[in-house]
Amino acid sequence: MSTILTHIAISDGKIKRSSLEVLSHCKKIAESGGHSVEAVIIDEKASSYVDGVKKYGASKIYTVEDPVFKNHMNTPLLKALAKVMETANPFVFAFASTEGTKDILGALAANQDASVLPDVSSFELIDGGIKAKRPVMAAKIVANTEAKGDKILVSVRSGSYDLVESETDAEVVNIDFNLDDSDLKATLKEIISASGDTIDLNEAEAIVAAGRGVKDEEGQNLISELASVLNAGIGASRALTEAGVYDPSLQIGQTGKVVSPQLYIAVGISGAIQHVAGMANSKVIVAINKDPDAPIFEVADYGIVGDLYKVLPPFIEEIKKIKN
Amino acid sequence: MKFYVCIKMVPDVNAPLQIKDGQLIQDADRMILNAYDASAVEEALVLKEKHGGEVEVVCIGSAKASETIRKALAMGADKATHIQTSGDEQYDSGSYARILAKFFGDKEYDVLSLGKQSQDTDSGLTGSMVAELLELPYTTNAVGLEAEDGKLIVKRQGDSGQEMIELPTPCAVTCSNDMNEPRIPNLKGIMASKRKPVDQIELSSLGLSDDELTPNTSVKGYEEKPGREPGKKFEGEPDEIAREVAQLLDTEANVL
Ligand SMILES: Cc1cc2nc3c(=O)[nH]c(=O)nc-3n(C[C@H](O)[C@H](O)[C@H](O)COP(=O)(O)OP(=O)(O)OC[C@H]3O[C@@H](n4cnc5c(N)ncnc54)[C@H](O)[C@@H]3O)c2cc1C
Repeated sequence: MSTILTHIAISDGKIKRSSLEVLSHCKKIAESGGHSVEAVIIDEKASSYVDGVKKYGASKIYTVEDPVFKNHMNTPLLKALAKVMETANPFVFAFASTEGTKDILGALAANQDASVLPDVSSFELIDGGIKAKRPVMAAKIVANTEAKGDKILVSVRSGSYDLVESETDAEVVNIDFNLDDSDLKATLKEIISASGDTIDLNEAEAIVAAGRGVKDEEGQNLISELASVLNAGIGASRALTEAGVYDPSLQIGQTGKVVSPQLYIAVGISGAIQHVAGMANSKVIVAINKDPDAPIFEVADYGIVGDLYKVLPPFIEEIKKIKN
Repeated sequence: MKFYVCIKMVPDVNAPLQIKDGQLIQDADRMILNAYDASAVEEALVLKEKHGGEVEVVCIGSAKASETIRKALAMGADKATHIQTSGDEQYDSGSYARILAKFFGDKEYDVLSLGKQSQDTDSGLTGSMVAELLELPYTTNAVGLEAEDGKLIVKRQGDSGQEMIELPTPCAVTCSNDMNEPRIPNLKGIMASKRKPVDQIELSSLGLSDDELTPNTSVKGYEEKPGREPGKKFEGEPDEIAREVAQLLDTEANVL
């Protein structure tokens, strides 16, 4: 019996749903292969998240707790992950594919001499390794990939798997962590912007995304109003994050966030492949665009051809009515 | 400041893609400089213009990659090293990282920069792998760079906001293409690029063992993405179609 380890990401005081999705999947494949599934939480307050993780079936939960993990910095995180790998000795170590993961995955693989497949949309165990599907070429096609070896790292796109609860009485193991100040190669000077009370796009059930068609404050107000009646997160195309209209952390696409909400409403977005790469896995896609030939209509379940300034007000009114 | 920028030639993802018998057919005429690498080159040039120094690009690839190198030189890079391969190898990020680490092992520089990922594989691993192999402090996904008394100040995009990171040099950084608009080479740049030195080195001369070049991961084949079912398009009076779709989201799609 070998171990599949799952990394539990914490963001803004909450467990990231995407890492519980990964844990749910690992539980399933571990059981069918006769392996054990374990989880690790690395955070300033790691132990406070243990109960939330127990629901998803890990047989052992490692915690690494230290104030240094308050903000993301790659050096301490790498040190902690390397120590966890030495303790747990997993043959597969699975992560949710977040910006934090992207910052360390390659370095951890190099450090541990491990094989690594990033940003996969699914993976399974095979003899001597794993096989995985990875969207490539701006997510236009899928590559069937394999990683072999006795240590394999994998990161999984959010929304790839459903959450499956299966409470266990996991053993909790705290791993000691000491960081020498001299180990801190890079220093964090400041956090410039944090989304704070806005809805985390990776976790949002619904997302309203604005593109260049949203030209002014009136348009932005309509976006905010629609998001608010839907309790949705607000996202944006690069055209608008680049123009400084929306915070760069709200950018959706190949360079931005990869999201998979139940409902994605693209407003005034043309549907360039780099944008679609980040949202095509949404369950239901609505597009509002005045150009009937906009490529976004090719991926939309419901395409509204029209001027967003004329379409959004009655759309918002109707949703309000339905919600009441 | 001495900058090394690693660049890669990739297929243009905007070109039509074809899959035949599980293999990806790539049009050799549609190979381009990876967009993220172009941003890394641009940013190095801007910092050089501000603080002086030198920008050298490094490219691993077949003879064809010389076009990509030429492009970076035409943008304004001072010189280039081309680590020549046959182009038929199935290297993964780990193989590239080990080649680069070997190459940089005995070099002196302030900043090693790379694109945050390559547009064809979208892996985003090489930068932090090289940094780890060379034991360099690093940051990924930079959206802004400043240089200051032997330090690199990096603005990076994190999960919930932007972070300001200070790196002592030498260091490594991977660049997002959100940080700048890479310049388009002008005629003068293109002419000048022809006279700039390109150091051609054979991969074999780096003395890597077969083991170090052997990839740990492999692509077994490609397939079409499962397409989305074609949806419904609504045209007509904005009021009417807006209400109709809102209703359908409730009754048909069940997402309200
Ligand atoms: C390497 C690389 C990475 C990239 N990464 C990303 C990424 O992560 N995310 C991303 O989004 N982009 C990314 N891009 C940019 C991408 O190619 C597009 O340029 C961008 O997505 C366009 O944004 P847009 O759709 O808002 O704007 P546009 O393409 O300008 O489209 C605006 C749309 O609004 C419609 N419109 C205008 N007025 C109205 C109105 N009144 N009512 C209704 N519709 C209206 C127009 O018909 C048009 O279709 C990347 C590009 C590159 C090269």
